[in-house]
This record gives sequence, C-alpha cells and structure tokens, in this order.
Amino acid sequence: MTTDSTTFDLLVRKHREALHYGFHTWPTLALGMPPALGDPRWTDELILATWRQAEESRAPADGLEFRVGRSGGGFDRLDFKTLPAESRLQATALVDLAIPLNRRGFDREVEIPVPWYGGGMSYGSVSEQIMLARAMAAKEWRTFTSTGEGGYPPSLAAYSDHVITQIATGMFGVREETIQWAPILEFKYAQGAKPGLGGHLLGSKSTMTVARMRESVPWVSLFSPFPFHSVYSVEDHKKHIDWVKTVNPAALISVKVSTPNDVDMVAVGSYYAGAHILHIDGGYGGTGAAPQIAKKNIAMPIELAIPKVHRFLQQEGIRDEIVLMASGGVRTAYDIAKAIALGADGCILGTSELVAMGCTRCSNCERGRGCPFGLTTTDPELSELVQPEWGAQRLSNLYRSYAGQLSDLLRGLGLKSIRELRGRTDLLLYRNGDGGSHG
Amino acid sequence: MVDPATVERLLGSRRQLGTSSPTPLRPADAEGGCGVIGMAASVPVAGRHLLQALAQMRNRGNGKGGGIAAAGLDPVFFGTTPEVLENDYLIAVALLDPAAKAEVESEFLEPVYEIHHAAAVPGLSDFRSLPGLDVAPPAVHAYFGRVRPDVLQRFLREQQLDPREAAKAEDEIVYQTTYRLNRALYASTGEKRAFVLSHGKDLLVLKMVGYGDDVVRFYRLEDLCARVWIGHHRYPTKGRVWHPGGAHPFLGMHEALVHNGDFANYASISSYLAQRNIHPLFLTDTEVAVQVFDLLHRIYGYPLEYVIEAMAPTTERDFTLLPPEKQRIYRALQAIHIHASPDGPWFFLIAQSKTAERLYRLIGITDTSMLRPQVFALQRGRAAVGFAASERQGIDAALASLAAEDSRFWPRADLFWNARGGSHTDGGAFLFEATAADGGALVCTDKFGRRIDVDGSKRPFCSGFRPAAADPALSSAEIGLPAETVFAEASRRLPRWGYEELQSFLDGLEGRAREDAERTPVIRTLTLLLDRRVPTGGMKRSGVVWRIDETLARIFDDVRERPGPTYAWMSAESAVPEPASPEQTLVIDARGYPPEGNGSLARALVDLASRGFRRFLVAHARGHRFLGAGLGPGSEGISIDVYGSSGDYLASGLDGAEMVVHGAGQDQLAQIMKSGKLVVHGDVGQTFLYGSKGGHIYVLGNAAGRPLINAVGRPRVVINGTCLDYLAESFMAGDALQGGGFVVLNGVAFDEDGEIHDLPAPYPGGNLFSLASGGAIYARDPHRLLTEDQLNGGAFTALSSADWELIRPMLEENERLFGIPLRRLLSVDGVERPPDAVFRKIAPTGLKALMPEEAWVHKAK
Repeated sequence: MTTDSTTFDLLVRKHREALHYGFHTWPTLALGMPPALGDPRWTDELILATWRQAEESRAPADGLEFRVGRSGGGFDRLDFKTLPAESRLQATALVDLAIPLNRRGFDREVEIPVPWYGGGMSYGSVSEQIMLARAMAAKEWRTFTSTGEGGYPPSLAAYSDHVITQIATGMFGVREETIQWAPILEFKYAQGAKPGLGGHLLGSKSTMTVARMRESVPWVSLFSPFPFHSVYSVEDHKKHIDWVKTVNPAALISVKVSTPNDVDMVAVGSYYAGAHILHIDGGYGGTGAAPQIAKKNIAMPIELAIPKVHRFLQQEGIRDEIVLMASGGVRTAYDIAKAIALGADGCILGTSELVAMGCTRCSNCERGRGCPFGLTTTDPELSELVQPEWGAQRLSNLYRSYAGQLSDLLRGLGLKSIRELRGRTDLLLYRNGDGGSHG
Repeated sequence: MVDPATVERLLGSRRQLGTSSPTPLRPADAEGGCGVIGMAASVPVAGRHLLQALAQMRNRGNGKGGGIAAAGLDPVFFGTTPEVLENDYLIAVALLDPAAKAEVESEFLEPVYEIHHAAAVPGLSDFRSLPGLDVAPPAVHAYFGRVRPDVLQRFLREQQLDPREAAKAEDEIVYQTTYRLNRALYASTGEKRAFVLSHGKDLLVLKMVGYGDDVVRFYRLEDLCARVWIGHHRYPTKGRVWHPGGAHPFLGMHEALVHNGDFANYASISSYLAQRNIHPLFLTDTEVAVQVFDLLHRIYGYPLEYVIEAMAPTTERDFTLLPPEKQRIYRALQAIHIHASPDGPWFFLIAQSKTAERLYRLIGITDTSMLRPQVFALQRGRAAVGFAASERQGIDAALASLAAEDSRFWPRADLFWNARGGSHTDGGAFLFEATAADGGALVCTDKFGRRIDVDGSKRPFCSGFRPAAADPALSSAEIGLPAETVFAEASRRLPRWGYEELQSFLDGLEGRAREDAERTPVIRTLTLLLDRRVPTGGMKRSGVVWRIDETLARIFDDVRERPGPTYAWMSAESAVPEPASPEQTLVIDARGYPPEGNGSLARALVDLASRGFRRFLVAHARGHRFLGAGLGPGSEGISIDVYGSSGDYLASGLDGAEMVVHGAGQDQLAQIMKSGKLVVHGDVGQTFLYGSKGGHIYVLGNAAGRPLINAVGRPRVVINGTCLDYLAESFMAGDALQGGGFVVLNGVAFDEDGEIHDLPAPYPGGNLFSLASGGAIYARDPHRLLTEDQLNGGAFTALSSADWELIRPMLEENERLFGIPLRRLLSVDGVERPPDAVFRKIAPTGLKALMPEEAWVHKAK
C-alpha cells in the first residue's frame, strides 16, 4: 500500500472527484495514470479498469489491463485460444449469454440473460443504498442479487422478483415472509473467504438500524455460528430444504458452500437433497472485513474447485441437472469466461460490484466508519456517499461492458452461446511465467 | 484386562495379513446422517416390527444403502439347532456373484473351519417386486462352524500364545479369515464378487443397496425373531454405482455397528489403527469406528465403560466433576486413545452378542458434543423392550407395531430420554442387555453402570387388576359436568382406580361425545388427562395414556362418520370440506399424508387456512414435519392441536398462530419463530427455537442440545425441566425488562406418581448463556447449584421485583397449562420462599468495547 503523503492527497482528491464528477476529469489529475491501491490479484490496473467500465460501459481501449491480475496463478495464468480472425463469428453475429438457473426438471424455469448474478452482502456489511443499487441493476438486467444475512430492508421489496433471500447460520432477519417473497432461496453454509469461521459483524457496524433489522442488541458484535446447528449432515440438509420449500414451494434452492477438499461430495449431497443451484465460493473473495489469516488460506482456489466439481458431477451423471455457480475471486469478464470454460454455468459477483461503485480495496471494511467511500458501512453519513440510482448506473455500465466482452470472446471462439463454453478447457491456454504457453 | 503380551501377539499376528494400501486420508464414501433404530427385548421379537419405524424414517436415507443386524436369533430360521447357533460362528457371506460360492468355500472357509451347518438366507425371487429397488440384493449364504483344531493349534504355536487364550485366538482367526476373504473378493479386485456380512456368534448382518426396511422385506425377516435388532438407512453421496458393502452395519467380532453422522479425523483414526496392523477395506468412517470398538473391547479387553470413554471422551466441566479415581483412569485413556476418538457429529448403535453369557446387547453412544439427534426409550411390563433411535417417532412406530400383535407390549413407552454426550451424569451412552436365561430379562444401564428403570410397583394395562381401595367410575351425570370439573374429579379418583374403572369412565366419555356439541368438553377432558401428569395409583402412566389415546382415536374417527357443525373431518384421501364457521374444528387424520413435500400435511394446513379454517386438530401424527410452517405472518387466530408423534421443525416460522403439541416434540422445533404461542406437553429435541425472534413458548419437559441458539428479539420461554447443554448460546434478545426475550428454567420434573420434584441440578451442562449479548435466563436454583464456570459472557444477578413481575404471568400461565403450581415452584424443601431466594437471573455482563462510532452516533443524536 502506498502511504506517502503526496499519494494520499492524490487519493483523496481523486475519490472526491471520482465519486462526485465521475472519471471525466482524470486528465486534470496531471500525473497520467491516477494512483490506486491493489494487490497482485486485484491490481491497481484492474481496479482502475473496473472503474472505467462502470463509467464507460466498455473495456478500456488504451492499454489499461482489464482482463487479468498479476497473481502469477489461477485465472491470471489462463488465456483463451481464440480462432484466427477469418474463422471467428462476425462482429454482428448474435451470441446468447443466457443461462438457466433450474435444470432439475421440476419446479419452475428461471433464466438469466447474462451468466452472473450478485452475491450475498448483508445489510450491516454494506449500506441499504448499496443493496438498493444492486437490486436496481439486477432488475434492469433481469438477473438477481442476494440479501446476504442481515435481514430484508423493506425498500428492497419493490425489487423482490430479483432478490434472493439468503438463509445463513445466524438466521438474522429471516422470517416467513422474507422466505415467501424470494424467487430463489440461498442457504449459506460457508463463505470461501472464511470457511469454518461463521459470520462476524463487529460492534461498530451493528448500528441501531442494523440491530433493529436483525432484532439484536445494538453496538454488540454479532456472530453467525459455523455451521448451521440444525444441520450436521446431508440428511439434515435435505430436511432444511424441505422446510423452506414448505414455506415457499415455488422457490428455487441455491446452496452456497466454500471449497474444502471434499467439495465434490458436498455437491453431490446437495444434488440429492434437491438443490437447483450449487454455489461454490473459493478462497479469494470476501471484503476487508474477513480475517486476513483466513482469506486465501483455507478454501481451495475457485479455479481448482470448479473443474473438480464439474468433472465429479459429470462422472456421477448428474451434471446437466444442477446449475454450478462460482464465486470468490471472479474479478473480470474474462474471469467469468474462464470459470465457465473450467466447468461452471455462471458466476456470482461481489467485490467487483463494490469496486465499480468506488471501492479501492483499502481493507477498511470491518469498522462502522471505516469505508471512505460509503460502501461497506451503515454509518448514516458515510452511506450517503453512494446514491442508489448512481450505484445502479455504475453496475449497469459494468454489466454492459462484461456482456460486450463476453460476446466478443464467444465470437472469437466461434461459439454462439455461453452455454457451449461450459467445461471447454480445451479452449484454454496455460501461460507460463516466462511468457510462453502451452495448451 | 488382557495380558499385554497376548495383545502384542494378537496384533502382531496381523502382520502376516500384510497391507497393500497406504493409510487412507479420507473415506472413499461420503455420507451424512442416516436414520437408525435399535431395539432390544427380554423376549425374541420379530423383524417386521422395524418395518414401520424404518419406513417413517426413510427421509433420513436415499435408498442407496440399508441394513439390519440381529442378535439372539432363532435357530429354526437357519434350520439348525440351538447348540450350533450358540457355539458356532455364524459366517454370513454376501455372494454378489453366485459363482463365487465355490471359491469362498474352498479357498477361505474349508481350510479354516469345520462347517457344521450351511443354509441359504432366502430372498424374494424377484427383487423388482419391491418398488424402488434397482440393484439386485446379494444372495446370502450362512455357514455355521468352528475353527479347525489343527488351525487353532498352529496359530497358538506360531504366535506363541498361551493355550489358555484359545478362545481369543479363535476369534482372531475368524477375524483374519474374513479380512482375507473380503480383501480378495471384494476390496481389491475390480469386480466385487463376495464379502462377509457377519461372522460373530448368534449375530446376523444383512445389507444392500436400498432402504433398511427393504432388507427386512427382501430377506423375509418379517418373521425372524431376535432379542436385539438394529436397522439403518444410509445417505451416501458418492458413487454412481452403489455396492452393498458400503452399507451399514459394519462388523466388529461379535458386534455390528450402525452410525448416524460423520467424523473429520478419519485419517487420524486410520493411522492409529495402522499402527496396530489394522487396515480398513471398505473405506467408510463407520468401518474404522467399529474397528476401534473391536480393538478396545476384544483385543485390549477394556470394560465397556472405558471403551465408551475412549471413543467419546468426558471433557470440560464434566471431567472436573468426575470422582478423582475416574479422572485418573479417564485421563490415561484419553492420552493413549484420543487419536481413535471420532471427532465430529456421530451417534453409534451397536448390536452385540455374548453367547457364552447368553447375553445380547444394544449399545447407543453419542458424541461428546451431542451433535446428532438421539433418543432412548424403555417399556417394561410382562416383557421389556428398550430402544435407541434417531427419532422418537420411529420408536413410537416400532412400539405400535409390537403392541398391535403382542399383548405383552403397548404403544406407549414408560420412559423416554436423551443421552448427554461425554458427560459426568450419564456418560452419553446407554446399554440394554437382554438375557435369554430364565425366560428372558432386559436391563438398562448408563455408561457408569447405573440402572435406568421404571417404577416396578405400577401395573401395565391388564384386566383383573384391582387397587386396594377402589373408587367407582364417574356416573353418567358426573360425566356431563364441565370438562375441568370432570377432569378434576377423575384425576382425584384415578389413583384408586383399576383399568376397569378407567375404561368404564373413558367409555362414558366416548358415549357423551357422540353428540357433536359435546365433543369439545369430552376432548378437553381427555386431553387434560393426557397432558397433565396426574397420579395414576397402581396403574402405569403409559398404560393409562394408552387407554386415553385409544378413546381419543375412536372419538376422532367418529367425527369422520358423523361430522357436525362443531367438528369436521378430513384425510389425505377425502374431499376438502368447506368450513361451516370459523369456530368449526377440522380434525385431520394425518396417516395418509407424506411427512414432507408438496403433498405434505404441513402444506395442506396452509391451504386449509387459506380456505378459512381456523381450528385444526391433527390426529394420528406419525412424524409429519414442518407442521405450522408456511402460514406466514398475521396467522393470529389459527390454532393447531397435534396428537400422536409430531415431527421435526414443528411451529417453525410461526408468526401469530397457536400450536399445542399433546406429547413430546422432535428436533428443530420453532426455528425462527416470530410470534404466537407454542405449548409442548413433553420434551423437545435439538436446536429448539434456533434463530427465533419472538413468541410465547411453554415446554413441560426438557430441551435437548442448543435451545435458543442465536435467538433475537423477544422470545419468552418457560422450560420446566432442563437442557442437555448450550442453552441460549449467542442469545441477543435485547433487555428482558424492556421488551426483550428470556428463558425461565424451572429444573423440575414429575415422577410416576405425579409428584413434582427438583432435578439434581437445574442445568447440568458446562455452557450456559455463552456469548450472549441480550435477553436473560431466570433459573430456578434455590440451592445455588449453578456456578460461574458454566457461564461465558453472562453473570448472575439478583432477581428484582421488576424481573418477578415480568416472569410471574408466564409462570401463572405455566400453571394453567401444565398444572405446575407457582407456589410449588417457590417452595424449597416444602417451605415457600420469596422469589429472589428461588430464582436467579443470568444477564449479559454488559462488557463491550464502546466504539468511537457509538459515541459519535450518540453525540449526533
């Protein structure tokens, strides 16, 4: 992290400018590339490129890296074997980015026009404005966002057709009506950033309004246990699903798990319990509120977990009956495409959406007045930094950029549908550190 | 204890078995919980009595693995003599490839055994006649034999074993022969051709790809009688092709083990076993569990108490409460065997035969953290039967099946209880020992050998029993009085009634209930008698309750024949009636409804409520789940009374409605309950009120593990008994005095004579109100038995008058509901004391870091 005072002043200026006037004023910053934070996975360039996409609805064309980071592994080593120019589909060719979210053959059909939806971020971890911005963007794009585990703010009810109710281990804010409103119910068993640690909301973020929503005591740190104490086995899990299906028979069921070694077994268990969506969350996700020691150090990288689960489901002969969604380290449109090529049906976004709304990954998310950009806060003042409509527009622009990139990529691969890309590891290249590559 | 040299030599002899595979790091099969039931009786009981229990627990398996074990068998089933059954090893071989039989015999059995008898265990001619079965069950052949003397002598000589250890050596030869056979014909070959199902004396294991009840049906065990039975459904989650070898039970020597749960330290246990030359073949965690049991019990010769301690160690506060001598031994056991202790959620059921003592055991062991549901039961009349199962409704079903055709049993158990895993109180394990001698007996003990028994002075239901001072039954005029009066009069006379007087009274009530308008007071009277723990004199409570059950069942059935404006009737098969008025009660016969899913009774209740019905009476419940869920917010005015065996998740999400369970609840009751009222006339199971937000809740008996975990808002709860452990962990229910939530824990119980007595401690667990930030516990603890070391984040505070005014109305309602007088609760050793001398309040310590932000927000306001 850069800490000298000149850079710090620039950061402050930049964000004030960026948040209030957009990125049109960049050239006036006079130092060429504006400074950003970042780390090898979420590089400064990726952060800037995400901001640009949220502003301009398309990938930067001036050389700013928007596809990969510099982690030296995983998605950052993968590339696509695009066809020679003459074999590609024409730029005007229509490609289909839609994926189904129910392939079970029972319950209702749900399709999203883009292969992603928003992951769970609770009221408490982020502000109501952020939740609204995400819900508005989800509605515009006919996809979904998730409540996370902190209750269902009434303002979200207007978007309920696009809001997933998450049921997590603390059961905060889960009531019969929030189960009944939801087209999809998401059981969060674990989070890839901190598997086995449950959920934490430190006291300073548990404000009066947050505590009211969760019916807890204000200013006290809240703990969601790990695991569900009512679910210690797969048959309990089935019972758990049967319960919420009793409350809302029309809902699809998503099961969110982290990526332990036996994630493949968990996948099959979820299938037999009746889940429609298996959501695997790798170790690279999470905001700055997740403990540093846990992030990246416990769960398996999502790039490993996806093919492991995909192939196992294939062996079991049930791959085409369950939807596999991946999250936890999906930063860019290219990450989405790579995850799908590795075997996922689609991806779930979290951090990249926050970045689109101004996050610098400064890792100050756990404190009540920590987030300088009004994202991961429920502080009444800081929350005002982000207006829902503004945030929704930023997300919508980012989505448009992603959709454009994915369409171009599919044309480059000669594929007409994103569904044809699933599991096509033959279309991926592994790039060695020395710049060489082998397929 | 066994001579250490013998242990060394027996384990050393296994070196010659060799090992082809390195110690596995994880089981090849993954599975979660399962459905298990065990039954032990003083008399032989037939396999068909497991059928209904297993059928009702099918939702705990997925049809990919089922099995049974039976001990104390009937020689006629195998066409042999009692002597052969008692003295010979019963080697049951599953022949997946019938052609393997010759090889099994010539390569493995004949060189080792003198076979005295052999018989096929006949299966159905066409397995497809059992719906849902898609893998052919193995053909099973049973061989009865002893190890050839020359083989035994050679083994003793080669292993330098004392000839006095011949019995141990013979067991070991049998064990190793099975190992060789399984490795050659099942584990290591690509094609799975044959494996040994069981090899103990007077013990039979059968298993297949299917449900446990399919095993009984396919192998025609309906009529096979045994003293101990265990049945199991499995929920494997890996493998497109399933094999019966992965199903439970797994085999020790003279015991078979089934398991509900899974554990995390499979690799650790496997390497512990590998150090002792024991290598798994089937690669499931259940297999290593039974190998640990066999090692500790047979090879090391530990008494069962120590075996149980090694598997489920006593920890934390419970350890410190053990006598010093036990602490010393347990500490040594833990030091040596902790790596063999399965870590995670598990509940083991073991069937064991000890033919030398003509003894057959059913053992149930729960893990130290009590993470799996488990329940035990006992009934003793002219015969005795004990149960251990994952669900109470499974026990109810087995007892009902027994009672339906054997007059020595009746459908109600005398005792039901939960084990407190790894505790100093019961050790988390119970043993039922059935002996064949003297016409048969059944003894139940806990881990420490303490007897669990029923009051022997009470009579089960039988004719001709007359108490010393008889009272006439109520006259027809008296029966016409208001329900409360009839109840009061009947309960006053009940102790001096025999079953004839009781029956005549019940028949009188039944006659009165033939008028639709009279049904309400009659059902009310009978329900009071059912719910309240009134003295029953010389009669067993379970016998009295059974007669009341029968009368109520007939009255409910009568509604079907003759519905009226007050009572309507429906079942899964009948047409849906229209409500005559909002006051009309709809009696629903639960039997035809599946326990869950779209056609479930829970969904039917939601649908009926939307049609305008407000009062429901659920009759004949058989483990139906989720009753009361889905009614949504604003369900005030809806009332649901449940009779029979209610199921899991009852009242979950309840938000306004009122539910009364006339009996015990199962697991996961009232999850996220928001408002309304729940009354349970018995115990409740695991994670009661998890994540609840409000409501008024009354429980007559105990709660199992983790009640009120993560509860917020304002749930207000009275638990008259106690809890196993982890009560109100992470409780966040505001300030009890400012509209928040609380639990009143009374720590009392009724005895057989309807007398209220104090439990030995109001709360035995080592974790009370841990990490709680809100709400309060009001514990009735006049002798100050609760101690600081049970708390973690809470503190004892004095009971203020405001506290008393808060809980007093709840305790008055508690008195109305359960007949537990407030004055009795305030009495200590017969003397009424002021509330603050009896109740103690536990509240959050209030220690929390005041964040700068908090101060800032306060200032901003």
